[in-house]
Amino acid sequence: MNVEKIRENFPILKKNIVYLDSACMSLRPKQVIDKINEYYSEYPVCSGRSVHKFGLKLDGEMDNARKLIQKFIGAKKSSEIVFSKNTSESINLLSNSFKFDKVLLTDREHNSNLLPWQKFKYGVLRSKEDYTFDLEKFSEAIKNYDMVSFVYTSNIDGYTLPVREIVKIAHENKAKVHFDAAQAAPHKEINVKKLDVDFLTFSGHKMLGPTGTGAMYVKEKILDDMKPFLIGGETVSDSSYDSYVLESLPHRFEAGLQNYSGILGFGEAVKFLSKVGMSNIEDHEKKLVKAVDKDKIKEIGFKGERGIFNFNIPKIDFHEVAGLLDHSKNIMIRSGMHCAHSWYNSRQIKGSARASFYLYNTLEEVKIFNEELEKIRKLK
Amino acid sequence: MICLIAMIVFGIMAIFSASHRPIAKEAFDCVFRRITLRKCQSGLDVKLKSKLVGTLMRKNSGLAKPVYKYFEVVSWLFVVLFFVSLFFSAQAVYNLAIYDNCNGPNADPETCIFTPNAEPVDCGDPLCDSGQCEICGDDCSCGECKE
Repeated sequence: MNVEKIRENFPILKKNIVYLDSACMSLRPKQVIDKINEYYSEYPVCSGRSVHKFGLKLDGEMDNARKLIQKFIGAKKSSEIVFSKNTSESINLLSNSFKFDKVLLTDREHNSNLLPWQKFKYGVLRSKEDYTFDLEKFSEAIKNYDMVSFVYTSNIDGYTLPVREIVKIAHENKAKVHFDAAQAAPHKEINVKKLDVDFLTFSGHKMLGPTGTGAMYVKEKILDDMKPFLIGGETVSDSSYDSYVLESLPHRFEAGLQNYSGILGFGEAVKFLSKVGMSNIEDHEKKLVKAVDKDKIKEIGFKGERGIFNFNIPKIDFHEVAGLLDHSKNIMIRSGMHCAHSWYNSRQIKGSARASFYLYNTLEEVKIFNEELEKIRKLK
Repeated sequence: MICLIAMIVFGIMAIFSASHRPIAKEAFDCVFRRITLRKCQSGLDVKLKSKLVGTLMRKNSGLAKPVYKYFEVVSWLFVVLFFVSLFFSAQAVYNLAIYDNCNGPNADPETCIFTPNAEPVDCGDPLCDSGQCEICGDDCSCGECKE
């Protein structure tokens, strides 16, 4: 993987920044930006409605984007991909489209995968002491649940759950499985067919795509049982004053005019990632985290191989650390509770600083990061 | 304490610029919490501290450590300097309003750029020829014995 060559595709990187906040929002290559511009300058119309040439052109582009995403996650059919605004919206759509008796969550869920389930009866599975997933406890607990909604890769520390085993055990116990893959889809190869997961949600903006884009994978045989949460424009093929006929799949779940430019950009983003190769990206990120100098720094969460480095510098406020890095060397990281308040509150941790790496980061940048961390550490 | 200065500075800037109003509001909230003996919650103090120290880390790393360590003292120092400078400014405005000279009644008006009709030195003034007033005979500088 030629990182320097990859970096040439990201116009923003010419601004002399060290961007280590990709877990929140990734940067975009010019291919994605060009695709967005292409929509607005060449066929800025509605899809699925108009039969004029611009409308038909956009229909083709939308189908293509859906197919690119289908292929990217190894889904069987493109109709299994439902577009949304982001992962939060996808999970809300999911939790409002089915009635579950009891939902099982992990203790490291992002608010997006915690709050939408709190209207059901739910349980929280605690991690082991070393922050890894407790498969044994899970095998016991699952007997009382009909739905499992787990984070695939944690946004707190980059830990990836043993997803294959989880799906296998859950299905043996007749429970459905959803993975919040917002931090996994951008960084590792996922094949939903092989994984046999029932639902998978992820966001475009964390994987080189535009903001306001996300997708939900739903296994075909379940899709028919799903009740649309949002209805209105484009969700029905016919309606009268007292009834309606739902549109074919997956359009019945995509109410109203869509974020066409964003979806096309999202398609272009996964094309870019596929060209680079997801296993290359995963390896590269692990290498970068490994190069971080962890001496005298308190690591938060899982400490094994991963692509996110979550830490605190003793006696220095985490927001200060982020601010100091920004103002001293244009190093951009995130600080706070990273939308996983429940995890931090349960451990009485006020927050932390988080550096998240992606395909465009270099070892040279990690070196600068290390040097600045050392300087900050010496301030006290 | 840096929030106090921020509140005044950004408060004035907020009159003219809408983009500074949220910061002024944050600063006000921060000062209000501090005077009621609570911790500033807006994070403005942290932002200002990290901006100042971060810039110092880039330009003069030797200075960054003491400024970071004694930031509260440095902040107080700036607050005191701010009020001292505010006092002298107010005094100057008062003098200017009363005596047409920001440095007081007996000072050389030429040193105050706001003095109305303060003219450049005109040594050709016939009333103050060769440093002596033609009317009263006293030593004078240009224009002084006009009255």
